[in-house]
Amino acid sequence: MKYIIIGASAAGLACAEQIRKEDKDGTITVFTKENYLPYSRPSISYYLKGAVKESGMYLRKNSFYKTNGIEIITGVEIESIDRQAKTVKAGRKKYSYDKLCICTGSKPFIPPMKNVSCKSNAMNFLDLESVKKIKTKADKNTRAVVIGAGLIGMKAAEGLSKICKSVDVVELAPRVLPSILDEKSAVSVKKYLETQGHIKFHLERTVAQAKSSSDRITSVILDSAEELACDLLILAVGVRPETALAEKAGLEVNRGIITDPGTMQTSDENIYSAGDCTVSEDMLDGSRRVIALWPNAVNQGIAAGSQMAGGSIRIDGSYSVNAIDFYGLRICTCGLINAKGGAYSDRIIRNGDSYKRLIFEGGRLVGYVLINSSENAGIYTSLIERRVDLQELTGDISAVPQPFIFDKTERDKRMKGAIDS
Amino acid sequence: MSVNYIPRRFTVIRDKERCINCGCCVRQCSNDCHLFADDGKTVISDSNSCVACHRCVDLCPTGALRIEKYVCDYRENANWTPQYQQQICRQAETGGVLLAGMGTPRDYPVYWDKILLNASQVTNPSIDPLREPMEIRTILGRKPEKLTVEKKGKSTVDMPPQVVLETPVMFSAMSFGSISLNAQKSLAMAAKELGTLFNVGEGGLHPDLKPFTDRAIVQVASGRFGVYSDYLNNSKFVEIKIGQGAKPGIGGHLPGEKVSVEVSNARMIPEGSDAISPAPHHDIYSIEDLRQLIWAIKQATGNKKPVSVKIAAVHNAAAIVSGCARAGADIVAIDGFRGGTGAAPVRIRDNVGIPIELALASADQRLRDEGIRSRISLVAAGSFRCSADIVKAIALGADACYCASAPLIAMGCHMCGTCNTGKCNWGIATQRPELTKRLNPDIMYKRVVNLITAWNHEIKEIMGGMGINSIDSLRGNRLMLRGIGLSEKELEILGIRHAGE
Amino acid sequence: MKRIYAIEELCLNCRLCEVHCKTAHSVSKDIIRANKYEEPAPASRVTVYGDNMRSLALNCRHCDDPKCVKACITGAMTKDAKTGIVYVDEDKCIGCMTCLAVCPYGCIKEGKTAVKCDLCRNEAELACVKNCPNHALIYTDSGDDIK
Repeated sequence: MKYIIIGASAAGLACAEQIRKEDKDGTITVFTKENYLPYSRPSISYYLKGAVKESGMYLRKNSFYKTNGIEIITGVEIESIDRQAKTVKAGRKKYSYDKLCICTGSKPFIPPMKNVSCKSNAMNFLDLESVKKIKTKADKNTRAVVIGAGLIGMKAAEGLSKICKSVDVVELAPRVLPSILDEKSAVSVKKYLETQGHIKFHLERTVAQAKSSSDRITSVILDSAEELACDLLILAVGVRPETALAEKAGLEVNRGIITDPGTMQTSDENIYSAGDCTVSEDMLDGSRRVIALWPNAVNQGIAAGSQMAGGSIRIDGSYSVNAIDFYGLRICTCGLINAKGGAYSDRIIRNGDSYKRLIFEGGRLVGYVLINSSENAGIYTSLIERRVDLQELTGDISAVPQPFIFDKTERDKRMKGAIDS
Repeated sequence: MSVNYIPRRFTVIRDKERCINCGCCVRQCSNDCHLFADDGKTVISDSNSCVACHRCVDLCPTGALRIEKYVCDYRENANWTPQYQQQICRQAETGGVLLAGMGTPRDYPVYWDKILLNASQVTNPSIDPLREPMEIRTILGRKPEKLTVEKKGKSTVDMPPQVVLETPVMFSAMSFGSISLNAQKSLAMAAKELGTLFNVGEGGLHPDLKPFTDRAIVQVASGRFGVYSDYLNNSKFVEIKIGQGAKPGIGGHLPGEKVSVEVSNARMIPEGSDAISPAPHHDIYSIEDLRQLIWAIKQATGNKKPVSVKIAAVHNAAAIVSGCARAGADIVAIDGFRGGTGAAPVRIRDNVGIPIELALASADQRLRDEGIRSRISLVAAGSFRCSADIVKAIALGADACYCASAPLIAMGCHMCGTCNTGKCNWGIATQRPELTKRLNPDIMYKRVVNLITAWNHEIKEIMGGMGINSIDSLRGNRLMLRGIGLSEKELEILGIRHAGE
Repeated sequence: MKRIYAIEELCLNCRLCEVHCKTAHSVSKDIIRANKYEEPAPASRVTVYGDNMRSLALNCRHCDDPKCVKACITGAMTKDAKTGIVYVDEDKCIGCMTCLAVCPYGCIKEGKTAVKCDLCRNEAELACVKNCPNHALIYTDSGDDIK
């Protein structure tokens, strides 16, 4: 059996590992267009601020790949897939496969701005290569502007604030971290970031154009006509699934690559897809969308790998779960945090600088936003994932969730580590 | 709170350099002596209710705690000692009978400490128990007047029921109610492993103890709690409890609030009702009445079980023991006045009864004088603190000894004497579930087994030194004893000679 | 694999397991220094929940298929193939706490990095089990061994 995996981040690596677990003999080849062995992309902001070294970012030891017979081909971009011949093409080389998995992840989305493209100090914040470049350009005199106050933009801003003179963040939405925070919590988080990180926010603003001298941007002008001095422009507006390869191969694509939600099989029976390039089915509301989060990518990679190797692991249900921190402020989110409509209700518990918002659908927990109150958040996650009827619990879940919210039978089951079976 | 005229007993000393504010003491003290300060982090102590049970001291992971006697001097008066003054103040406040737990703390003579043991030198060899067999197996029960054998040597005598113990030490009666089920269970498990017996006391038999009934002594006391056919038959022997060394002549009263479902089931009385043990058995006003009950029990058990009578050591104990023997008892247990209790009136505990040493010696002598010693086995009770006490008791004439306080100490008891409050921090003398679970039978029975095993070794060692290789040769062997600092009269009663004689 | 099981009926809520866990995971390994003076203060991997009436000392279940390992974005959380111990490589962990958000048992604690039971893999004995005064923590092959 010949397995080819395109992309070597969370999904690709998980897929390769799972194949190896179930098929000891097949050849596994993983292609990555980057020049690095699989590393932790979310760590790049920590690398930027100097919290981790490059050597600490690699997901596995170098020897791991040899021991497990997984070949990683770095610096090679697959250009096309020939589904008839079952080959992939990179440059002049063709590689044949029996089973293929597309784990191409996402690409940055850059809205139209005048005079920005191709400038030497306008960069993405997505991979190790880009952050290495940023690191060479940023110093204590740098005035940085970040476009986008989402997870990527804010992580970039946090990293930059530790090494730059000033950081301005421009965001179209009326609040920071719009994908994970509601209005109320966003206000306090914004205040925290302003004081802790000396970040200046420009909300409900876009960058209209940039002023430059030769290939360097010197300032950006907002739609309010305000001008921000700029030595470094980070473009972190958002990402889109990288589906070009799949589209070219004629696979079914609708925003992301369409797969069977259980097996991760695409419209071609020999091709699978996993990770941020793939459409997931959110088990909590049945919606089909891209859930571009690490745990989801790993689970999909494992399911795809198992199916490719003839195994039986399936995706039982996808949902989003994310944890992130800014200057020690911990934010944990899970499930339907932006759920709207009469079916949903929520409970907000504030206590000093902690904030907890639990979202319910009927008698079930379907989401949470925890700011500095993430203790035992995983118990909430398991309540969400297992769709536990809260009436069955013997304790209140508003405080820190703990074993005594469950009855004795469930506690015993938990003690035996047997709640998932 | 009004002024109560009584200074506190103890002071908790917290070494701030060692205290890590882990709060273990706060959570462990049922008397609320430790608490978190207003900051919610710093642990402080309030010594007022400290009973010196040492739960906090022993569990403190850094050894930061120490209990000190609170010294508050009164004007010296050998008559009006602080103790009497404080007791008066307590009674002036409550108007009630003073109650306390454990045996008397008062400084009465302990004759064990005034008796010395003998050892072999030159004229007869001592025995090394590690190299030679040493028999401490003890058999209780009425022995036949004489043995007749057929030609081949087989006995033709109908043997009365006998009880075989692998050690002369048994565990005395402590009821479920006075001690926790976990404590009882620990003793039961230890008795099973040691080949000895435990006594369920007068509180009936909890179903959890069913697996241990072949190691159980069951009591029939004046309240007759939990007594029915299965109870009597599920036992090694049956004991009629007439009295208790710590409170001779006094009945018992377990208040209704302590009669939980479990206790009510074991005692076979309605939940929440007061469990009253009358002072006397109202069907026993004479030796003849006792005889009737003994025979009734023998009938109920098909003559298969020895029947014991337990009496408190009182002034005419010897005559009473003789009466019991004549009434048909197979075993008579004498409980000395230093014996322990879960709750007793202080005045009774501290003033009524006589020491076990004197009662035992005189009873043994009386039975011998009357030629009926072999009719019964004598069991001594009332505070045995070590193996030497046991050896001395056996040499004074006891067949076996009842121990309770020693195994309780092995299980954590620190003799704080507040058993009656029901707040025992060691999970022994309490029924509160958050406290009883502190006593894990799986741990505690092993400690009790260790204790008695150690005593067995010591008993063998002492016997070996005397040149005796069987406990039967020690029994009543008063030549092995000498008194020290005792008067002529005391020596006469004990039936021993003075050291040097 | 052998795991630590807590017996609720025997747990005294004394929380000595927490104290000794901190000590075992401290720099000084001295109980007073570890719990009083050390900076940063070592964190306990075991947590006692409940009150004196009923309590439970909870620590990592070292799952056969650990969610925390799957969710770890840096590869810092691993399950040792030989021993089965799930542990954090503190040099790699960036403290994002995604593991905490997916652990269904609530056995991962926040710190500079993720903090969790490593079955005292660098120690001679299991600190919590050894020091539990009532044998409420047992180290055994199967949870079914518990009475």
